[in-house]
Amino acid sequence: MSDELTIWERPVNRRGFVAGATAAALAAAGLGRFGAADALAAAEAEGTLFYYNWAQYVNPKTYAAFTKATGIKVKKAFYDSNETLAAKLRGGARGYDLVCPTGYMVKELIAEDRLLPLDRSQLRNVTKNADPKFLRTADDPKGTYSVVKDWGTTGFMYRTDKIKERPTTWREFVALTKKYGKTTMVDSSPEVVGSIATMLGYSYNTESQRELDQVRKVLLDLKPHVVALHSSNYDTLIAKGQAWMGLGWNGDGLALAGRVPARYVVAKEGGEIWIDYYNIPKGASNPDAAHAWINFVYQPRIAGLETSYSYYGSPLRRSLLKGTAAGKLLTDRVVFPPAATVKKLETNQVSANGKRLRERIWTEFKAS
Amino acid sequence: MTGRRLLGGYAVLAYVFLYAPILVVVAFAFNGGRDVLFWEGFSTRWFEVALRTPEITEALRRSVLIALGNAVVACLLGTMLALALPRMRPWLRTPIDALAYMTLVTPEIVFAIAALVFFVQAGNGLGLENPLGWQTILIAHVVFNASVVALVVRARFVSMGQSLEEASFDLGAGPLATFRQVTLPRLSPAILAGGLLAFTFSFDDFITSFFVTGPTSETLPIYIWGQLRFGVTPAINATAAMMLAFTLVGVVVAYLVLRRSEQGRERRGLPGV
Amino acid sequence: MASTEADTTERRGEGTRPGAGGPRYPGWLVLPAVAWYVLFFLVPLGFIVATSFGTVVGFSDIAYTWSLDNYRYLWDDVVGDLHIYRDIFVATFKLSIIGTLSTLVIGFPLAYYIARYAKHKTLLLLLVIVPFWTSFLIRAYAWLIVLDPEFPLFRALGLSDFVERQGILFSEKAIYIGVAYNYLPLMVLPLYAALERMDWSLVDAAQDLGDSPLRAFRRVTLPLALPGILAGSLLVFIPLTGEYIIPVILGGNKTFYAGSLIAQQFLESGDWPLGSAIAMVVIGALTIALLIYARVLGKQEQFG
Repeated sequence: MSDELTIWERPVNRRGFVAGATAAALAAAGLGRFGAADALAAAEAEGTLFYYNWAQYVNPKTYAAFTKATGIKVKKAFYDSNETLAAKLRGGARGYDLVCPTGYMVKELIAEDRLLPLDRSQLRNVTKNADPKFLRTADDPKGTYSVVKDWGTTGFMYRTDKIKERPTTWREFVALTKKYGKTTMVDSSPEVVGSIATMLGYSYNTESQRELDQVRKVLLDLKPHVVALHSSNYDTLIAKGQAWMGLGWNGDGLALAGRVPARYVVAKEGGEIWIDYYNIPKGASNPDAAHAWINFVYQPRIAGLETSYSYYGSPLRRSLLKGTAAGKLLTDRVVFPPAATVKKLETNQVSANGKRLRERIWTEFKAS
Repeated sequence: MTGRRLLGGYAVLAYVFLYAPILVVVAFAFNGGRDVLFWEGFSTRWFEVALRTPEITEALRRSVLIALGNAVVACLLGTMLALALPRMRPWLRTPIDALAYMTLVTPEIVFAIAALVFFVQAGNGLGLENPLGWQTILIAHVVFNASVVALVVRARFVSMGQSLEEASFDLGAGPLATFRQVTLPRLSPAILAGGLLAFTFSFDDFITSFFVTGPTSETLPIYIWGQLRFGVTPAINATAAMMLAFTLVGVVVAYLVLRRSEQGRERRGLPGV
Repeated sequence: MASTEADTTERRGEGTRPGAGGPRYPGWLVLPAVAWYVLFFLVPLGFIVATSFGTVVGFSDIAYTWSLDNYRYLWDDVVGDLHIYRDIFVATFKLSIIGTLSTLVIGFPLAYYIARYAKHKTLLLLLVIVPFWTSFLIRAYAWLIVLDPEFPLFRALGLSDFVERQGILFSEKAIYIGVAYNYLPLMVLPLYAALERMDWSLVDAAQDLGDSPLRAFRRVTLPLALPGILAGSLLVFIPLTGEYIIPVILGGNKTFYAGSLIAQQFLESGDWPLGSAIAMVVIGALTIALLIYARVLGKQEQFG
């Protein structure tokens, strides 16, 4: 199973692929495996990858390039939130080979022992090309289960043609929300509660009842002026003009600015820096295909394709991305914020108890 | 007869209400551009895109098949239930009644989660590699839909009166023949209505399907939900338009067939429905 | 009446007995459905019941502690100062009532027309259902377009500003419209089923005997349509209490109902015990409503 030749350097074996796909299908049908021994071996690393992911989070070109290079077909299914993914895994769903949870969810899944440890020998490109600071992160300290997919920030965006002010802080964001009443937010309690917490000078991850009460007051005060709470199309609403401001993520902000006059801002008080990972859940039917995918997208050319599509930060060393499709984004402060900005931001380190407290505020917020 | 005309006018309005969003969907299926609110010329390219996207065509096919299967099973179970329950002894009837009603009362999200856990545990116990799939969706759907059919059929059955059946017996027909020739035809509109409801609920179902589906058995609503990032893509609008055309054709054909059989029955002098 | 005798007389033994009362269908007919219910409904539900007495551990694990903590938590909220959950239950009830009434008001005249006056009844009825084979999510999103002030029709008619000021989109009004739209066939079909077998000559007779149309309606049509009204109301009211998708799509996801609450506990919070307890409360309340319905229907069976 170790590949001295990386997977895309092996000639694509059409017979092996067909035999492998058939074997995989038959194996799935419980009829046992047919075919020659090498087809058996091929079946393990070829066949189909079942990729369970956010929608529109992968450059379509990448799927095609991957299949062309490895012979592995990609079946896709989509979830709309980390929580949905977790609920499926917790309920016992099996068969997903590759998933992309955000850091805080990875922590939960590791704590619940729902992930497969990765085989680093199949991930040579990761070891070779990754920016060292992404090889071990707080979410998975030993890097046993995860490889970074991308990373980003949480801040706010606004239509520069609809709003004459140029806000740079959460306080201004809140004030303008009350003034115009045209704000959307991501449907995520950690992000919203945490952001407002930083506005009040607290930590993004605070679990102090007293501090959270203050946050609660601000939020309830704000509620009548909120248009919608959607993680997946809060930015579309801003593009359409149904909202003029939004609390959300940098990639969406940059994409928005490409469609309408808009700007994305990391608030001065602080916010979140988050990381999305590749993980292989327990019960995966083709973990080798998942490894193949991760290894594949850690090629600079492919990584560049991804970044140019999603506008989220790449985990590869920046020098490697020069000359790829993401080349011109390297200097973009939204996609790759400068160190000074990053220093202000915190990662989501909320404990189970803190999560409960935030949920309660969120419930009250939504019900008001 | 002004009442009749007024009501007729109202009916037209009601149908406008029912079809307005649908027409919007169909209209924008022909929109050349991506954005739903801006018309960018007439085009059929989204239909091609939809037909060429395996996720869509597979999901659609699966949704239809599951809904059909579920309708058949639900009609069987529900009709049997509706027939036998009214005459059962109360101490037996009440708990079964309560059970059937409970399937309608439970919030779908709760049942969906409970069913998920059940299927997975049962699957583990039976040594199944992948316990979740279209089968679990169908099973879960039937739980709800059998009760719907039972409700509709029973309402009809109970108020139908038994005089025709009695007459049939007096004339010497056995219970099975009576059922087939007298009861069933009278009941069939209700069974059909129940079956249609069951099909509709299953086809349209999102929450239950979402939780008990396996990785390879995505239904159309699940696929659409996963694409929520940009709202409804034009390809999905095209899919909906195609489905609408398909069902309209099917409905008209079914109606014509039904009418012919009704006329046939009248001609043969069988008791009217 | 023969039916009354058959119902009130205790009959022993199974199988059909030709003669007085008509055929009685054998009891074993209920077995397949009952087996299905027990295996695929009661057992999973048992899990929910058990979980409601449990406690959440860590992020989402469940410890079966057999405690009333969750229920006590809910009770404290309902009677307490904060009463977040109480407000949610009240909002849910309000939504369900309004939804049921609106589908009844919209649906009844339609069902009446089809049942009494229409020439191609089955076709018209099918046409009521056909839109609902285009997937509920698509229809909800279509409403997002129709209710948008920028909708081409409004723009062409110069009504954009007017519509904008109504503030329908992403408000409760949008939710009510979406609900009425989506639950309409659930009301229309049972109404039709009941109205279809009505003997309209009775209504004509009543009018011939001097009743005004309204009076004839009230005295003749309404009582006979009642089972249909009840069935339709239940079919709408009950699922409505668990509805949370339409508020997400059309309401901007900023209102919370019982269904949203349960979904949140199971999906976001991972607190399955609390979610289960809330679910049990909703189920309990609805079961009571249903028992009342069964009572009324039971009386209907005796005198039908």
